[in-house]
Amino acid sequence: MNGAPVVFVIDDDPSVRSSLKFLIGTVGLHVETFDSAETALQGLSPDTPSCLVLDVRLRGLSGLDLQHELAARNCQVPIVFITGHGDIPMSVRAMKAGAVEFLTKPFRDQDLLDAVRVALEQDRTRREQEKEITELQQRFESLTAREREVISMVAAGKLNKQIADQLGTAENTIKVHRSRAMDKMHAQSVADLVRMIEKLKGLSNA
Amino acid sequence: MSSVPTSRVNTALEDSIPEAGASLESILCTEELQRRPSRPPDYEKENRGLVALMSALADSPSTIFQTLAETILDITQSDSAGLSLLTRDGKKPDVCGKRFYWPAIAGMWNPHVGGGTPRNFGPCGDVLDQNRTLLFRHFERRYPYLMPVIPAAEECLLVPFYVAGEAAGTIWAIMHGDRRKFDAEDDRVMASLGKFASSAYQALMHIEDLKFQVSEREKAEAEVRELARGLEAKIRRLVEANVVGIVMWNLEGAITGANEAFLRMVQYDVEDIVSSRVRWTELTPAEWRDRDERAITELKTTGIFQPFEKEYFRKDGSRVPVLLGGALFEGDGNDGVAFVLDLTEQKLAQEKLQDAQQSLYATQVDLARVSRLTTMGELAASIAHEVNQPLTAVTNNASACLRLLTDRNLDPEVLRRALEEIVADGARASAVISRIRTFIKKTPAEKNKLDINEAIQEVLALAGHELEKNRILVECQMTKTLPLVWADRIQLQQVLLNLIMNGIEAMTAVTDRPRVLWVQSRIDESGDILVAVRDSGIGFGSEADRVFTPFFTTKPNGMGMGLPISRSLVEDHGGRLWAKPNVPHGALFSFILPVAEGVCS
Repeated sequence: MNGAPVVFVIDDDPSVRSSLKFLIGTVGLHVETFDSAETALQGLSPDTPSCLVLDVRLRGLSGLDLQHELAARNCQVPIVFITGHGDIPMSVRAMKAGAVEFLTKPFRDQDLLDAVRVALEQDRTRREQEKEITELQQRFESLTAREREVISMVAAGKLNKQIADQLGTAENTIKVHRSRAMDKMHAQSVADLVRMIEKLKGLSNA
Repeated sequence: MSSVPTSRVNTALEDSIPEAGASLESILCTEELQRRPSRPPDYEKENRGLVALMSALADSPSTIFQTLAETILDITQSDSAGLSLLTRDGKKPDVCGKRFYWPAIAGMWNPHVGGGTPRNFGPCGDVLDQNRTLLFRHFERRYPYLMPVIPAAEECLLVPFYVAGEAAGTIWAIMHGDRRKFDAEDDRVMASLGKFASSAYQALMHIEDLKFQVSEREKAEAEVRELARGLEAKIRRLVEANVVGIVMWNLEGAITGANEAFLRMVQYDVEDIVSSRVRWTELTPAEWRDRDERAITELKTTGIFQPFEKEYFRKDGSRVPVLLGGALFEGDGNDGVAFVLDLTEQKLAQEKLQDAQQSLYATQVDLARVSRLTTMGELAASIAHEVNQPLTAVTNNASACLRLLTDRNLDPEVLRRALEEIVADGARASAVISRIRTFIKKTPAEKNKLDINEAIQEVLALAGHELEKNRILVECQMTKTLPLVWADRIQLQQVLLNLIMNGIEAMTAVTDRPRVLWVQSRIDESGDILVAVRDSGIGFGSEADRVFTPFFTTKPNGMGMGLPISRSLVEDHGGRLWAKPNVPHGALFSFILPVAEGVCS
């Protein structure tokens, strides 16, 4: 994963595009611009931490269409909508579909920059969560079948003795499995382990 | 006198003059009548004969000639006696006839009844030519036509027979042998009986004629009666079918009869008619009396009145619209009949049609308004977008510059580029505005002399539906006979409609006071035409002048273009449009237009 976030500006008006690039650039962010939803769909790099500043009214696919299309591709990049002639139903639709902000042109520079910051933060958080879960999965997959069994029962709140009885083995054996699994999972405490297991469960349930 | 069968009498023979046989003189012995000893008159016999003729006349008039023949045969003691009459058609005596026919023969020649001879083929023609009694001896010597007739006539006495004073035939008596000779008494009695028979015949003919006339008349009357019966049945059918109201009346105002349909229309009973309680004059509302008078005048001159529409009062005082037409009966010219059609349905249909047309009109107005708003809305949206883009760019660029300035991190080259963009976007925005101006003024004005009051009335009609829907009272204060103005009707009406619609919209939220739209037209102090539109709406506070600024609006969905456009249109017409707050509520918009040169409405 690359570190520097990118703001993708999509607007069919060259003046607006260039002025947005200039404005967003003043806070040190890298900006890439597209003049249509179609070119954006080709040029977006899903692996880069990013957000979209997206005009609603575009030639061809509209901004709302692009939002829909990205969701369909499971691309969860946060979107800041900008529009010259917005109405309430349109903004409600956009926000419901997960937009970060809906700004009417012309907007205050601070409002846009705040929205972009929030969007990038959202993207960063999401990526971190995704990364953590991926790591947890990798760790979980490194456990033996017995270790997985044991820590699942630990996470369920069972005592070593109870687990030993249930699995028909010695309590000390359980202690060894448990200790190895905790190490492999990088769990500092039983509480930490429980949280990790919950996260993994949540992922498998989702 | 012929036993010649009719079949043997050919036309060529009848029309030709017969070959002269013996001369007339050689067969005549008329003078001998005087010389022969005359037998004494047998009055008893003669009277019996007259009685017989009288009886025939009374009992069986058609036998009167036969009775005459028999009477003469009896009185003259002759062998044959009969009557020859000139005829044209073979039946009726006619002095101009070309044939004799024999209606009656008694005695030996009786079998020849119904026969006859052409006029000049027998002795009768000679008798009529000489118009006196002639006595013939063996006349077949002169008339070969009669040669075959048997038994032959030894002596024949012929006396003229008169019809209506003219000799139309002969009465004759024949001796076939020499048993006796005719004498003067025979002549006298035949003439006498002939005269009587002629009178009787004429009386008979007269009676026949009368009978004929009577029967003809009876036939005609029967036909008329039949016709009348048929017509009456038809008329009765019409009356009783009650598909139209039928009413009989007189000129004094009485209703003398009416059918169910009429009674239903006016909701009266037949008793009301019978008792003369109802008079058509009283059924007629006052404002229709004049029309009735006109109909009566028409009746008196032509006998009918053409159908016209009027109203009658019903029994309950409500009114029924009717179509009425009628005629006077022949006679004293006082009574007549009329048909009455109930027009309620038609009127309702008409009203519905009018309503439908009105609502269609209202819809059209709505449509016009919607399309006006849509056009304005689209225009506004387009303006918003078009102006917003450069404005956004300007704001972004300027904001970025400010940020860089604050950060003291400004590269002059970057600043220059940003400012250049700002200038360019400013120019772009202003180009958009000027395009809008051009768009608004795009339609060239078509100016004509027009009556401002007419234009106002048309626009009020156009806005009528909106005014009604919002329960707005319109007060007009139009100055009559204003001079005409030189203006584009459509544009002027756009301005008026805009002011009126603004007034209406400003009053829709008002509930605590009357909603009054006041429209005035007059000449102002400078001689221009002044039109003022005032409302009792929410007004615009102290922002009277700002209302003409593009995009300024007090309305939730307004776009703030109506008044600037209106002002621009009025100014194009050489006038002025301004606004003032109205006291205590609402707004007052006024505009003036110069008077068109040298004209007056």
